[in-house]
Amino acid sequence: MFEKDVLQLIRGLRAHKGQEREFIQSALRECRKEIKSQDMDLKAIALLKLVYLEMFGHDMSWASFNVLEVMSSQKFVQKRVGYLAAVQSFRPDTEVLMLAENLLKKDLGNTDKNTISLALSTLPHLINTSMANSLLTDLLPRLSHSNPTIRKKTIVTLYRLALVYPEVLRPSWPKIKERLLDENEDPSVTAAIVNVVCELGWRRPHDFLPMAPRFFDLLTEGQNNWMSIKIIKLFSVLTPLEPRLVKKLLPLTQLIKTTPAMSLLYECINGIIQGGIMEAAAGTTEGDEVARLCISKLRGMLVVQNDPNLRYVALLAFAKITTSHASLVTEHQDVILECVDDLDISIRTRALDLAIGMINENNLQIVVDRLLRQLRTSGTVSAVDDPDNDRSAHDGVVPIAEDDEEDAQASIRRTNQSKDQTPPLPDHYRALVIERIVEMCSEDMYARLVDFEWYIDVLVNLIKQCPAEPSNTGVSISERVGAELLNVAVRVKAIRPEAAAAAQSLLFLEDKDSYTGSDRSSGALTAISFIAGEFASLLPDPEAVLTSLLHPNNSHLASKILASYAQAVPKVFVALTSQERISWTTGRRSQVTLLIARIVHWLEPLTLHPSLQVQERAVEFLELFRLADEACKGHETVEDSSPFMEPPLLLTQAIPALFSSMELNPIAPSAIHQARPAAELLESHTQQSYQSSSLSDKVDVEARQRKRAERRERNKDDPYYIDPDGRSGTSTPMGNALHSAVGDEELNVDDIPVMELKLDNGHAVSKPAKQAAAPKKPKRHFEIAGDETLSTRDASSTSLPSLVPSRQNQAKKGLMGIDSSGLSALSLESGGNRTTLDIEARAREEEEMARAIREVERLRLAMQRRTEEVQDTGEGESIVVKRKKKKVRSALLEDNTEAGGNVDNGDVVEKKKKKKKKKPEGEATAVAQTNEAEQAEQPKAKKKEKASDCFR
Amino acid sequence: MIRAVMVINTQGKHRLAKFYDFQPVEKQQELIRSIYGVLCSRAENVSNFIEADSIFGPDTRLVYKHFATLYFVFVFDSCENELAMLDLIQVFVETLDRCFKNVCELDIVFNFNKMHTILDEIVVGGQVMETSSEEVMKAVDEITKLEKSSNAISIVPKSISGRQGR
Repeated sequence: MFEKDVLQLIRGLRAHKGQEREFIQSALRECRKEIKSQDMDLKAIALLKLVYLEMFGHDMSWASFNVLEVMSSQKFVQKRVGYLAAVQSFRPDTEVLMLAENLLKKDLGNTDKNTISLALSTLPHLINTSMANSLLTDLLPRLSHSNPTIRKKTIVTLYRLALVYPEVLRPSWPKIKERLLDENEDPSVTAAIVNVVCELGWRRPHDFLPMAPRFFDLLTEGQNNWMSIKIIKLFSVLTPLEPRLVKKLLPLTQLIKTTPAMSLLYECINGIIQGGIMEAAAGTTEGDEVARLCISKLRGMLVVQNDPNLRYVALLAFAKITTSHASLVTEHQDVILECVDDLDISIRTRALDLAIGMINENNLQIVVDRLLRQLRTSGTVSAVDDPDNDRSAHDGVVPIAEDDEEDAQASIRRTNQSKDQTPPLPDHYRALVIERIVEMCSEDMYARLVDFEWYIDVLVNLIKQCPAEPSNTGVSISERVGAELLNVAVRVKAIRPEAAAAAQSLLFLEDKDSYTGSDRSSGALTAISFIAGEFASLLPDPEAVLTSLLHPNNSHLASKILASYAQAVPKVFVALTSQERISWTTGRRSQVTLLIARIVHWLEPLTLHPSLQVQERAVEFLELFRLADEACKGHETVEDSSPFMEPPLLLTQAIPALFSSMELNPIAPSAIHQARPAAELLESHTQQSYQSSSLSDKVDVEARQRKRAERRERNKDDPYYIDPDGRSGTSTPMGNALHSAVGDEELNVDDIPVMELKLDNGHAVSKPAKQAAAPKKPKRHFEIAGDETLSTRDASSTSLPSLVPSRQNQAKKGLMGIDSSGLSALSLESGGNRTTLDIEARAREEEEMARAIREVERLRLAMQRRTEEVQDTGEGESIVVKRKKKKVRSALLEDNTEAGGNVDNGDVVEKKKKKKKKKPEGEATAVAQTNEAEQAEQPKAKKKEKASDCFR
Repeated sequence: MIRAVMVINTQGKHRLAKFYDFQPVEKQQELIRSIYGVLCSRAENVSNFIEADSIFGPDTRLVYKHFATLYFVFVFDSCENELAMLDLIQVFVETLDRCFKNVCELDIVFNFNKMHTILDEIVVGGQVMETSSEEVMKAVDEITKLEKSSNAISIVPKSISGRQGR
């Protein structure tokens, strides 16, 4: 078998075009074999190959022990491979890390600086709490190593240690501070400290306030832009805590004016914004000057230099200023709105966010039209469409043989030719634009919207432009636009005919699409079909709409949409057939029965639909239509010329009453909470507590029954109140309607009791659109109906249902965030500022600790005695016992000296419990011990078991 | 802090992936793939920043630079300056260029080990360590020397002379 080295592996991969998978599998097999060999060179080579393959997704965690072996090699070249493999494949919970600890300790104490720095730069990748604790003692001396590289790497490593084990900061911060204050320290080390302090700064700014003068000095010396940037970042978190700093920082303006480095300039502006310097200095001449200077510089970045990167960061900064100086930013809306059309999607997104704040009645249409044009003109090439990408999506784990030899040999410094093209819009950007358009238009109850006809048109266009349904759960964007269309139709009465017409056109469009299999806007269909049904009387062509709704292909639609269709069909049917004035001629009868037959034909298969909701509606309406069919056929007809003959009451009165007895009005989400019956229903259920005693139950029963009777009395006219005794239902609209269908003369739709909603739109909380603000176009006056609620004083009642989820809700925990919550809980100021109470508590803790040590020592002696006895019976085992015991002791002692009993109270209790389990003697005292001690305890307990085994 | 450094070629093949917070192998692959999906759809003359919130979560930025057949990608959070990160990519590439004398993709493919060494000198634990490519070169040279002296075996030769002869 030929021994391949890494080069050959790579070459082999490149040579096996098409059979990479097999090649890699054989290479992996070989590596598995080689890595077990005694030859360190072979081992290291195999490991390096694994690291290479790991980059392509081939897990190498199985080799973690071998990684450790190579790490411990004496030869630097092998050691380095081992460490590289550790960085790439170890995780903080890798098991062999326990064994790596000693090796790391040794390497940290090495005389060769490269070995030390190898260990230092590897540590951040695999550190965990217990390791942090034990390696701290080895790291601290490295802070004063003669080589600056080691010093700065140590500082960063200590910071990463502190992230997992905040106690690290207690002993190390004084030393780091010493380094920071040392004027003769190597500048790169100072820069590293500043880096770390900046990272810690936003987590616990108070601790670094005392250092402000030193940072200020460093900033004014200003040798290193990298460091200046970090210091400014740090100051931006410090200034909110110490207002006096603001005055000192005004010289930043000098820096802004003079620095040639754009990054520093940007950071200065950023610092001024984020540090609240603008707000703090607002009003003073200096403050105004600063604000103007910043904004003019930012404007310069946007226009003068045609650099997209500067445009991007300038927009980022603008976005931060808007919160405090919105008016100043609005002055520059010309350039910012220009960026909405930028070639770069990142810039567009930023500009879009800004644009929201700058929209007014006058420019709303311009901006929205511009965005719409963007959506229409650029193609939708999502990443998946790219053939190159496709390949990597399907077998991305395989490094594919090269087919670009020529390219790969080209120097990467070669300048790129630029090609000018409209970028294809990725789906998420499309969704964002649509969302923002809806947000812009609907904000403040459509305050900025003048022309609703235009808006309906926009929404129709948006629905057509919606990206394909996202795979993730949640409301799809087309659904949201559909909901918005519905919202407008409900709120703005005057626009309903247009909305109905829009719904009709969209339904026709959807028909065509469903034949071709595209389902881009299907999410909106629920709302569209609802509009078509609810405002069926306003439809331009209800018959065509009905045909479209009854199309056989519709049965493939999602159940939610189908349910809405099933509801819309009878409504459109009513619009078509309920005319009272037209005589019941033979022609009309046949027309109606034909319609009914079609509907029945469509509904019948739906009664077996898997979705219960669809099934239920289908069954109900099917019965209704069969009833109607009978009524039609049984009703006497006349010839065209004959005198007026009344059509069946079921068609003209009963069925319409089902759908038109109440008008649709917007209801505030909060209204439901104020609805009386719902609240009380809930109450009656929550009363049945499992914990209440039977005695009190008896007392309650009577009261409850009385209450229930009262409630029943109160709600007897409420059709929606469900009587627990099942005696409701006498006054439902359906009951009345059916009554009337069989000839009951007393039908009175107004008798149908409903919740106290004001049906008349005139009473609704309405807010006229600000028409006066747009004098150019004398437009129709639109009234926008606000939400109805039971109590008009409710402040939130007029708010729109949020179509766009607030950004806070969207903010989820970052994927790559490190949890550093423990860090902020730690106090650095040990001793000095502590209150007496603190000191007492500490003293108590120490006392407890001492007691615990004595206790442990006693136990240890007891165990030793016992193991000595065991030694007589089984010698081999006892040796192990002795060794473990020593470990226990040293670990405990170490622990006591370092972590001064700062463990959480909860922890203590928990540990106490655990301890009790292990030690049936029950001498456990309140001991504050850290993990290490806990771990140390385990072997002891095990030993005890073993010992007793031996006795048996 | 810097969250991750990646080098991907224009075909979507990985050339380097270093995550400063641990990510499982499959997750790494998925992340790189989605980044590549965004990268390859971008025009040439646009900014170097990508909104990465949808990939990495909030408060993360992504900056990349495109050189011939390679994308150099840095992912970082709000503790880093956007433009400075762009400069850092430049430092990284410049150092590679010095090290390999007019570097090309193949150098990087065959010397991925060395690329790790260079990166480890520039970024440690997500923090910027060194911004002068001269200093980085010094350190890297020293390490190479030490490797050579520690053993005659060389796992990867410094330059790949046999490349054309393949």
